[in-house]
Amino acid sequence: MRRFLDRLYLAAGGLAAVFVLLIAVLMVGQSVLRELGVRTGAVNDVVAWFCAAAAFFAMAHAFKHGDFVRVTLLLERLGPRPRRAAETVSLGIATVAVGYLAWSACLFTYESWAFNDIAQGLLPLPLWIPQMSFALGSILLWIAVVDELVIVLRGGVPTYVRAVAERHAKGDFSSDV
Amino acid sequence: MDILMIGGVLLLLMLVLLSGGVWIAMTLAICGWVGQAFFTSTQPGKNLFSAFWESTASWELAALPLFIWMGEILFRSKLSEQMFEGLRPWLNRVPGRLMHTTILGCGIFGSVSGSSAATCATISKVALPELLKRGYNEKIALGSLATAGTLGILIPPSITMVVYAVAADASIIRIFLAGFLPGLLLMALFSGYIIWWSLRHPDQVPAADPPMAFMEKIRLSGNLIPCALLIVFIVWMLIAGYATATECAAYGVVGALAMAWWSKSLTWDTFWQGLMGTTRTSCMIMFILAGAAFLTKTMAFTGIPRELAEWVSSMHLSPLALIAVLTVVYLILGTALDGISMIVLTSAVVLPMIQKAGFDLVWFGIFIVLLVEIAEVTPPVGFNLFVLQNMTGKDGNTIARAAIPFFLCMVVCIALVTVFPQIVTFLPDLVMGKEK
Repeated sequence: MRRFLDRLYLAAGGLAAVFVLLIAVLMVGQSVLRELGVRTGAVNDVVAWFCAAAAFFAMAHAFKHGDFVRVTLLLERLGPRPRRAAETVSLGIATVAVGYLAWSACLFTYESWAFNDIAQGLLPLPLWIPQMSFALGSILLWIAVVDELVIVLRGGVPTYVRAVAERHAKGDFSSDV
Repeated sequence: MDILMIGGVLLLLMLVLLSGGVWIAMTLAICGWVGQAFFTSTQPGKNLFSAFWESTASWELAALPLFIWMGEILFRSKLSEQMFEGLRPWLNRVPGRLMHTTILGCGIFGSVSGSSAATCATISKVALPELLKRGYNEKIALGSLATAGTLGILIPPSITMVVYAVAADASIIRIFLAGFLPGLLLMALFSGYIIWWSLRHPDQVPAADPPMAFMEKIRLSGNLIPCALLIVFIVWMLIAGYATATECAAYGVVGALAMAWWSKSLTWDTFWQGLMGTTRTSCMIMFILAGAAFLTKTMAFTGIPRELAEWVSSMHLSPLALIAVLTVVYLILGTALDGISMIVLTSAVVLPMIQKAGFDLVWFGIFIVLLVEIAEVTPPVGFNLFVLQNMTGKDGNTIARAAIPFFLCMVVCIALVTVFPQIVTFLPDLVMGKEK
């Protein structure tokens, strides 16, 4: 189960990375085609959807990896016991909040499908197709949050705390803006 | 309930959640939800969905991952090693000599990278050991690296500026262009301080490296030519208006990949690592922007920002007093929050206020970036201090003290930019014409 979940997060992150790559390819391709006189307006819509896909598919992986920012000023001053309690409360709140997010994402993506919403731009694609990235990505993020909550409740150190500590110990600050 | 009271309740909730360690994006969205569910008659679920979808599926925002990627590629290339070697031969006659490599190195790296921590870490990794080996003053070296690293977000491209432009609904290119002159001004102030210090302490500046023939100098600097070409290319694209910001970023990625390949530091592994790092960082930022977009909707429904702007303007503060108050607010926020969260968190409320007081949004963008830079080098959570602390093993407060003179340079820069806003607006007005 552990290995399956970790691979799932990583695979979704990899998929998101492919979308980032595709954005770059599309943008370069579009500017070349435009010079050649080809109409490329629809590319802008696709880039926007890819941008969303890149963000949503990566959420679980980025969360696990400790990239989501939070204020740690007070947390770091706490002893191990109160700190664990604080992490549990934070993860509990996150479970509810992300659960609600995932539920809304699925509900309204389903509505897009049921009412057959079509994109308004130059590419008349049914909207539910790009919106699937939101629905799937937020479900995966919710699984990752619950996963962390279980780890902390069992007395473990959250993965996102460990990942950041390891990264900084190696002198890697590439994830920090 | 009074509208400002609602604002107060939401603010209190936000402070509690944030200080408890709830992730910033989630905190924003939770506050947005509470505001809508209890104080308006709209459907928060539907609004949450459309806020997240519309803010993330945005063509404008696609520039963000690309600019991040460009920096990630160069961060993993040999550029930083080449930078020190390339700058070294030219600084022998300047008072302070190689000490200026920190400022110039950060300035140059800042014009290809959009991150302050990455700039600081990249340049420090190379310059710091070289400077200390030659016997340069450690305090000045640390202080200049900590503060000059923040040039990464002032000199375009800048991740912070992209985020501000998206949050303020302003033109990314305009804000980028506005960053050049303040960036150069800040570099001049930093270098000026180093010159002044070196003239006062000539005994503490080590002897120059042995002189070199001109051709030898050119040979050593040859490695910097690809980087210089990349910078010139990007600046040219921005100024000539050939490309949109997103296209410009895509070409930046291509150029950076070509450079990394040229210097033989592009392997499949570094390529993939850089891409994954980019994806995570941009995901983090877009998640915050999405949470903020939802909160902004709440703000629009409740009318808090309008009310607040009215309230502030009813106090008849002079524009300078307003700026002074905001400066204090941002400095306080900066003690606990990172720059991007700070901008996103406040934009819904502060920007209407600023516009009502008659300030230019582009000018305010640069002003806020300068304040973020200050926050990066002030304890308790100045991130550049943390980077250097990790790299040198020195205590963060020691580094912060070393940074004080350079910190004062930043304060001077902010004062100059406030008194002479033309420093900011000159270049964008020149290139793109006056706004409206």
